[in-house]
Amino acid sequence: MTLSAHRATRSFRNGSGVFDVDLQLHPGQVVALVGLNGAGKSTLMRMLLGMLRPDRGEVRLAGCNVALAPASTWARVGHLVEYPLAYPELTVVRNLQLSARMHRVSEVDATVEAVIGEFALEPYRQRRTRALSLGNRQRVGLAAALQHDPSVIVLDEPSNSLDPAGLIRLRESLLRRSGGGAAVLVSSHHLDEVARIADRIVVINAGRLIGDLDPGTPGIERAFFESVRIDDERGAR
Amino acid sequence: MRPSLWAEAVKLAGSAVGRVGSVAVAVGIAVLSGAMLAAAASGDPQLLAKLGPAATQDWSGFLLAAAQITSAGGLIGFGVVLSWIFGREFGDGTITGLFALPVRRSTIALAKLFVYAMWATAMSLLLAALLLLVGLVAGLGPLTADSWTALARQTGLGIMTAAIAAPVAWAATLGRSVLAGVSVAIGLVVLAQISVLAGAGGWVPLASPALWAMSSGQAVTLLQIGLVLPYVGVFMLATAWAWRAMQLDR
Repeated sequence: MTLSAHRATRSFRNGSGVFDVDLQLHPGQVVALVGLNGAGKSTLMRMLLGMLRPDRGEVRLAGCNVALAPASTWARVGHLVEYPLAYPELTVVRNLQLSARMHRVSEVDATVEAVIGEFALEPYRQRRTRALSLGNRQRVGLAAALQHDPSVIVLDEPSNSLDPAGLIRLRESLLRRSGGGAAVLVSSHHLDEVARIADRIVVINAGRLIGDLDPGTPGIERAFFESVRIDDERGAR
Repeated sequence: MRPSLWAEAVKLAGSAVGRVGSVAVAVGIAVLSGAMLAAAASGDPQLLAKLGPAATQDWSGFLLAAAQITSAGGLIGFGVVLSWIFGREFGDGTITGLFALPVRRSTIALAKLFVYAMWATAMSLLLAALLLLVGLVAGLGPLTADSWTALARQTGLGIMTAAIAAPVAWAATLGRSVLAGVSVAIGLVVLAQISVLAGAGGWVPLASPALWAMSSGQAVTLLQIGLVLPYVGVFMLATAWAWRAMQLDR
């Protein structure tokens, strides 16, 4: 299943937004979206997931306009944008059951048990989410987004608050799923981290996709800042 | 619809707001009604004057007091819970997780309203049972046929009071916060009072259930009380539409 934006623009009154974005996610490919704070990463992800309608252009999911995509298509999408779908008053298990049911998973209990193992949430399974550390809450959110083995995965800063063990589990989970044919889009500030898993790194600046970075580039942070600087100077002229 | 109903029921049952709201609406109103009964029994002339027809120390006066408290306090109590059901998704940030799902957002909104309706009906029945208990403990004696009818009317008032809070769901959605819904709940109480004072209460769905219950059904016609249905329907549809058309642009 594919997810793509075609000259998609969404602007806000203050002039910010994303502009003329062309981006395609292909099965089996991990695309990393990197940019400074306020560059438009979250706005782009919201537009891709139907949380924002483009002013111009189009977003397509499995070949269908995202606004018209049927339930069966959405059942194959997993996402975490800004906040995990984890209700503070519910236990970890309950939250995962809730997410599984909302994603129309047929074997809810087996699915939840499997993802609890995958994200090492066993010690916390009966704890209310409000009592968890930020990192463990993020694990619950990632588990909720990924447990139904989606074909399209969109994660906004998934490594936020994760400890090194959590980072490794996330990395392995994404690589396994992309290896199984999922199209993955992740945004991150951690260039070294995304360089380990991404097939393609796309740089966004001031709401525009300004180019790609080769994940194998030595000193990738320097290359990133250089591309942003050149774009800023071009914009200033 | 079934996954959404399950999800909303689990959220309400697991929340402190659900528990506190249940206690406030059912136990709170029963205790306040009992307190008014005790005040009437004190014989203080000033208190008796303030209580008016509710000071008769019988089932009629007791249930009249309960209806008065339900119509104002109940609307606030139901409104707070309804506002939380909708507004908490924005406050907790979980609204982003309710997009990009195989369940329509309008379905989620209707599931929220349905679970709220079930909870409110259960609370109204529980309140009636608690009022019966308080009245019996207070020695009001066996219920007459009229008293049973008044108790049934009290249950109906509870359910209708919960129903007329429907704009709160819409407001919490548009305002994207619990506070927006609670503010509207308070506004609804004020509007109900003003409409009664202006003499238009029977025709105003915010006030007609209370007038109906407090007048033993005499002061409000079937048509007037029936207006509650389209009023609630309009705000249910407006809420479902607001969820359907929602964009996370602020």
